[in-house]
Amino acid sequence: MDTSYSLYLHIPFCRHRCAYCDFNTYAGLEALIPAYAQALCREMAFLRQAAGERPPIHTLFLGGGTPSLLPITALETILQAAHTHFSWHAPLEITLEANPGTLDRDYLRAAYAVGVNRLSLGMQSAQPEELRFLERQHDFGDVIQAVEWARRAGFENLSLDLIYGLPEQSLARWEQSLSRALDLQPEHISLYALTLEHGTPLSHWVDRGLVPLPDADRAAEMYELACERLDKAGFEQYEISNWARPGHACRHNLQYWRNLPYLGLGAGAHGFAAGYRTVAVRASTAYIERLQNAGAPSVFPRTPATAEAIPVDRATEMSETLIMGLRLTQEGVSLQRFEQRFGQRLEEHYSAPIRRLRRAGLLEWHAEALRLTPRGRLLGNRVFMEFV
Amino acid sequence: MVYFPPLMNRERIRNFSIIAHIDHGKSTLADRLLQATGTISEREMTEQVLDSMDLEREKGVTIKASAVRMQYTHNDGQVYELNLIDTPGHVDFGYEVSRAMYACEGALLVVDASQGIEAQTLANLYMALEADLEIIPVINKIDLPAARPDEVAAEISDLLGTPPEEILRISAKSGENIAAVLQAVVERIPPPQGDPDAPLRALIFDSHYDAYKGVVAYVRVFDGAIAPNDMLQLMATQARLQPVEIGIFAPEMRPTDRLITGEVGYIATGLKSVGECRVGDTITLASRPAPQPLPGYRHPKPMVFAGVYPVDGEDYEDLRDALAKLQLNDASLVYEPETSQALNFGFRCGFLGLFHMEIIQERLEREYGLDIITTAPSVEYEVLLRNGEVVRIDSPAQLPDPAEIEEIREPWMKIQIFTPTEYYGVVMELVTGRRGVFIGQEYPTPNRVQLDFEMPLSELIVDFFDALKSRTRGYASLDYQFAEYRPDDLVRLDILVNKEPVDALATIVHRDDAYRKGQALVSKLKELIPRQLFAVPIQASVGSRVISRANIKALRKDVLAKCYGGDVTRKRKLLEKQKKGKKRMKAIGNVEIPQEAFLAVLRLRDE
Ligand SMILES: Nc1nc2c(ncn2[C@@H]2O[C@H](COP(=O)(O)OP(=O)(O)OP(=O)(O)O)[C@@H](O)[C@H]2O)c(=O)[nH]1
Ligand code: SF4
Ligand SMILES: [Mg+2]
Repeated sequence: MDTSYSLYLHIPFCRHRCAYCDFNTYAGLEALIPAYAQALCREMAFLRQAAGERPPIHTLFLGGGTPSLLPITALETILQAAHTHFSWHAPLEITLEANPGTLDRDYLRAAYAVGVNRLSLGMQSAQPEELRFLERQHDFGDVIQAVEWARRAGFENLSLDLIYGLPEQSLARWEQSLSRALDLQPEHISLYALTLEHGTPLSHWVDRGLVPLPDADRAAEMYELACERLDKAGFEQYEISNWARPGHACRHNLQYWRNLPYLGLGAGAHGFAAGYRTVAVRASTAYIERLQNAGAPSVFPRTPATAEAIPVDRATEMSETLIMGLRLTQEGVSLQRFEQRFGQRLEEHYSAPIRRLRRAGLLEWHAEALRLTPRGRLLGNRVFMEFV
Repeated sequence: MVYFPPLMNRERIRNFSIIAHIDHGKSTLADRLLQATGTISEREMTEQVLDSMDLEREKGVTIKASAVRMQYTHNDGQVYELNLIDTPGHVDFGYEVSRAMYACEGALLVVDASQGIEAQTLANLYMALEADLEIIPVINKIDLPAARPDEVAAEISDLLGTPPEEILRISAKSGENIAAVLQAVVERIPPPQGDPDAPLRALIFDSHYDAYKGVVAYVRVFDGAIAPNDMLQLMATQARLQPVEIGIFAPEMRPTDRLITGEVGYIATGLKSVGECRVGDTITLASRPAPQPLPGYRHPKPMVFAGVYPVDGEDYEDLRDALAKLQLNDASLVYEPETSQALNFGFRCGFLGLFHMEIIQERLEREYGLDIITTAPSVEYEVLLRNGEVVRIDSPAQLPDPAEIEEIREPWMKIQIFTPTEYYGVVMELVTGRRGVFIGQEYPTPNRVQLDFEMPLSELIVDFFDALKSRTRGYASLDYQFAEYRPDDLVRLDILVNKEPVDALATIVHRDDAYRKGQALVSKLKELIPRQLFAVPIQASVGSRVISRANIKALRKDVLAKCYGGDVTRKRKLLEKQKKGKKRMKAIGNVEIPQEAFLAVLRLRDE
């Protein structure tokens, strides 16, 4: 195999579901973790069998959910299995998503020792009342501690996630959270605008009038403020919601945005490989059962957990290459790479929407690539819509 | 197949309609009568079985009258043929009720025991008296906890002179006392008159279109008889036809071999256009024509006009076909092509009222799958020009240059509002606030007052009924008729979006109201038009003077959600959905305007 993949492993467990969260995760099912970890290892084995050889990978991402709920032994078993069933292309980026409330010194030390070299911490905010509102089960003190322990353990690649655009959040409160985050000197920062997801407690509160809708204009100001602050602090923005110190962009996520192949394992995980988008069964119990009962080998990129494998036709792949690639605020979608991949010129294939969006000041050509203008970054959906 | 004795003795035919204010239970009573006479089996029975259109079922409202024949064995041992016509109660369809009455000798006047007499109870009663019908009052819904049958009986007695104890009290829901209704129909309604030996005269009182049978005329035979092979002639249009089939409604169409004097049934004409077979015309025999047609009806005139445009210009032909098809079943719908600078090609449609308009709009969308934009309704104005010429316009965009106008006249209506006396004050205030003029009052029953006003129709069609209902907690009811055209100081209120006048948003208003309405409209539009990529000014102007303005701020941010590998498909679907929503809007210049905005005028509350 000459393609190198990114490998995503989903850990669908959390201690408590946050008020805004609609991820595939379950609170109160931690008892399933050992069986789940085993199932995950089995799935890796099946995938390797289906591929006929150890698929090469260059990044590995443990996402969730709260992967830091995995006991260290389970984490180790999983990484070992990944080593057994995939061929690792150094330097391998191995990220662990962690909830600051679940960490301690020993855990971080052990995690580093078993190979995790990038830590992504869900800080969200430095304001106690905001953390309470979001029903996060940690405070800012936990974040400070976690960062400290992580550094001591040897982590040199730390990322913090923050959320902005909360109902009635002021610019000043936001700026404070941002400053506190910068004080911790992370290598990477992700900033997410709070979005109301259907079916979450937060969206119920808003529907029932208990909580005002977040103000979109204010969120835009917060975003612009963050762009400025982070720029001054020496961060480079490389994606709509992501900033990094030079050389620390998340390689795993870049794979997604460049619309390159990745393997997704675990309950509800998505993959994109060999021309298919795959989705695994969502429920963790169903996932475990499937792998316990699995016997017959599958055809790559399927595994016994695969619920759906949807072929991606060329037109879809082109449009997805744009929808994802335009999120990359610096590199955008490269003309040359597009033509190499599809044998068609980007500016010809999409000439009408590109013309419209350039005229509207949302897209620009830069260094032989198409990318969003600063204004376009705030109006991404308007842009992407033109390419579906 | 023949299901009924082919030569029913005319003495044993009864033709009657069921009339009432909206929702008083006409269709439910019809259900019970159909059941009691065994016309419909228990298995086929549904609620309001005669409301067969999807929209009727969904709204629980009768839109179109329907006829049905029943066979009933009376306690004298004889079998009677009862022809029932269920009518709509909504004021927009009053003309349907009046047409139905001309096919009958009697009417069941249903009154809700909890509501008592309301505006269309009176309006329909007067029509029935005018048509010389035998009226059988029936108090319905006596099962309701809020029923007050004694009071309602007293109200009816005051009105009709029927002794209260003789007024039937029923529950159409539970079926209580339904037998008494059937007995009263046989005993009190006279059998039809007419001369079986005279040349055929059959009145077309309604019609619908059937893809196989063409226009199906609903007829009442006044003289003579019809056999399936007769060559027939329409007296007004002189069109000749050989029926595809004749029959009765049972309640589905059931062919018979004869319709005799006094009977109600249908003639499937095979004709492909309603123009040739008009409701109100008289059908006679081609070989032996009657010398005189029956007195016809006055055709309902559309009162309310609006532009109907396809959202997507490519659907224009489809829209035209759909309108033509709807008109086949509903001759009161009129339309002609219209162009708008803002909306391109569409149709100017005339409706009987706002409810009628709403129904046509929904049918176009649902039955024909069209995405349409309807402009704010307008009335028909008479414009006297300086050169002495009078032009009629039914769209504000057609208003000539003010310099050429001597005078603008608008239709005024006589309106009757029937309300509990406690709402006297609020009703007065509402009507006079809309340029209404008080004419007089009557107290048909002790706690209720009928207030008579005159009011411009243009004020009536903008949300008036809803305002009346909400201010009187639903107790007031309303009836109205055209009075006359009157001049007033009227001006056109133009709306400019992004500095461009949008003809489809213009309205004609009284000069004194221009400022207030302009402001209200501008702020409503600001609410309804989504933010665009650039700031959009909205202005209201009269002539060249801008009287109100607002600014829609440019859109700064749409969702900045995160997006990683797993979300691609979902994200894509979301984008597709958003894109569709955008497509449903009408792009005017660079501005995307949603359908609701064109109806904004209707949604202005009088604050
Ligand atoms: N409780 C009770 N409800 C009734 C009775 N008769 C009718 N209703 C209810 O009243 C509502 C209106 O009944 P319809 O039969 O549709 O009234 P309608 O007069 O045909 O209404 P339109 O055709 O819209 O004018 C329905 O919800 C019926 O179920 C009755 O005797 N008792
Ligand atoms: S920790 Fe993350 S995955 Fe878990 S509930 Fe909260 S937001 Fe969702
Ligand atoms: Mg009805």
